[in-house]
Amino acid sequence: MSTVTEPGTPPIPQQPRRTFAKWFRQLGWRHLVTILALIFALYPILWVIGAAFTKNPSITSGSIIPSTPTLDNFTTLFTNADQPYGRWYINTMLVAAITAFFTVLIAAGAAFAFSRFRFKGRKVGLMFLLLVQMFPQFLSLVAIYIIMVNIGDVFPPIGFDTLGGLTLVYLGGAMGMNAWLIKGFFDTIPIEIDESAKVDGATHGQVFWGIILPLAAPVLAVVGLLSFIGTINEFIIASSLIQTPGTKTLAVGLQGFIANKYSENWGPFTAGALLAAVPVVILFMFLQKFIVGGLTQGSVKG
Amino acid sequence: MAEMVLTDIDKVYENGFHAVKDLSLTVADGEFLVLVGPSGCGKTTALRMIAGLEDITDGTLAIGGKVVNDLPSRDRNIAMVFQSYALYPHMTVGENIGFGLAIRKEPKAVIAEKVAKAAELLDLTSMLDRKPAQLSGGQRQRVAMGRAIVRDAELFLMDEPLSNLDAKLRVQMRAEIASLQEKLGTTTVYVTHDQVEAMTMGHRVAVMRLGELQQIAPPQELYDAPDNVFVAGFIGTPPMTLFHADLVIEGDAARLHVGDQELALPMGVIDARPSLRALSGREVIVGMRAEDIYPTEAEGRQALNVVVTMTEALGSSVHLGFSFAGSPVDEARLGSGLKNDDEHGLSALAAEGGVQGVAAFPPRIQTRIGERLTMWVDMGRLHFFDVESGRALR
Repeated sequence: MSTVTEPGTPPIPQQPRRTFAKWFRQLGWRHLVTILALIFALYPILWVIGAAFTKNPSITSGSIIPSTPTLDNFTTLFTNADQPYGRWYINTMLVAAITAFFTVLIAAGAAFAFSRFRFKGRKVGLMFLLLVQMFPQFLSLVAIYIIMVNIGDVFPPIGFDTLGGLTLVYLGGAMGMNAWLIKGFFDTIPIEIDESAKVDGATHGQVFWGIILPLAAPVLAVVGLLSFIGTINEFIIASSLIQTPGTKTLAVGLQGFIANKYSENWGPFTAGALLAAVPVVILFMFLQKFIVGGLTQGSVKG
Repeated sequence: MAEMVLTDIDKVYENGFHAVKDLSLTVADGEFLVLVGPSGCGKTTALRMIAGLEDITDGTLAIGGKVVNDLPSRDRNIAMVFQSYALYPHMTVGENIGFGLAIRKEPKAVIAEKVAKAAELLDLTSMLDRKPAQLSGGQRQRVAMGRAIVRDAELFLMDEPLSNLDAKLRVQMRAEIASLQEKLGTTTVYVTHDQVEAMTMGHRVAVMRLGELQQIAPPQELYDAPDNVFVAGFIGTPPMTLFHADLVIEGDAARLHVGDQELALPMGVIDARPSLRALSGREVIVGMRAEDIYPTEAEGRQALNVVVTMTEALGSSVHLGFSFAGSPVDEARLGSGLKNDDEHGLSALAAEGGVQGVAAFPPRIQTRIGERLTMWVDMGRLHFFDVESGRALR
């Protein structure tokens, strides 16, 4: 066969130089779309960075490259006792970290049950989770507000205007989508691995902690990260439940900088927002190594 | 190590499917029992019930004299090798093998020692630090074996452990598993659909079909004296040729009518199977093994005129597919479903009518498809089965 030229596939002729029009039609327009998308995505970030280093910027006067770069906005953040940015920062990181950690744990536990056990109400439970998730959490804000006030009467540490209470409220909405997401991943881990571990002597708990969780690292990292970011960004519930300046989170606190009609402090606001992004970026870079495919490779089949 | 006794085990799934029916069998201490049958015969379900991965609907399961129906897998002290191996992909080979010990909180030194010993036995020593993904299929299979043997379990359960290996490796591992079991002396239940594995590995073989145990016997006995038409057709490659024949016994002479042919039956055959005597003038199912059909005439052989439909030169022998006028065994009516894999293309040929069969001849037989041939059947080695029940007539 090798000596016979197959019919229907003539040798590829030397291509003539492509014209620009042809290049654009075939390939160039993709670059254009990419560049537009990049501008769309990066402009706000660049604007915030620029504003953070500008003295007294405003929405209209702010420029991406400040004419006289300054760190004044950052110093303001940490020197104003009425607006304790450092305190907010710590509050937020604590709430976000705890929420992310327990969200992963709660959702993974629920997902394990939904993925591995067969029990009455399993299907209904799954549908219910999805259904509840379709209503935004702040729809229940009034109810949450009343609950938190009442809890505060009985057990103040987790009641109204406390970070503990806020964390609990966030965790209340933790399962929904995340449980679905993690369950979907668990379902791809062959059940034989569980069974094999059970025969080897493992309890459900040992299967969960020792086998399933390590194998599900990618999805756990994603859920943890999303939950962390979501908590940092959450404003509506936090602003309703937190009132003491020292208990505020970043989203609520920073909003205070731009809430007044004639004294919008865009400088400290953007500087604060920029600093708030740092831990997210660090966490993402740390978790990135877990977000890889093929963890279950080599388990089954040859 | 222990004896295992299954008494009237039933498995009915929630959807009403009766997967295993009244399964009773005893596996002796140190025995290697093979459960064999076509897909869907309930053999894997039976194994999973023994492993505790599937609830037992009814009946009792005792391991080492203790009823374990309600014990979870982890408390049954069994080890299982899965068809897919089911290795823990995030652990090294060493951790995989030692997992069962680590779970049981054995001291690290003990685990290391046992793992090293198992690895040596399975020739895995140089791979202890690798992850399963870096191993070949055969090596993964051995890791799965290692995970089982390191535990000193009372019972080994193996669910088609060789079916993912290539043909050559399968033959090699077949021998290795059998000799390993011999060495360790652990009671073993081995599930397979491959009857070559069943014949070569087991001390005894249990044939299952549609959830029911058909026969349990040592391999050779299973082959030589199948209890019913299904076992006769299932065990043996190429499969036994089965057909209907009219049995006539007149005084000191007996014969079989098959289509328009007549085969004289020596009285010795009748004498050896007393129940045949009552069936004179009635129809029986006759079975003949491929190796009991010869190209040449000899004492005790009867001529059977056939048409060659297929030749398969295997080197050491030639498998000749043939057909002759007669009434083939209606598998559906007997519900016997012979063999699943149609490796001799018999079902295609069956459409042409008549009886389809296979003979194993010495190599270098010159013949062509479509040729008329006289074959010589060793009448003393025929198998007889009841037309209605399909049970062996002895």
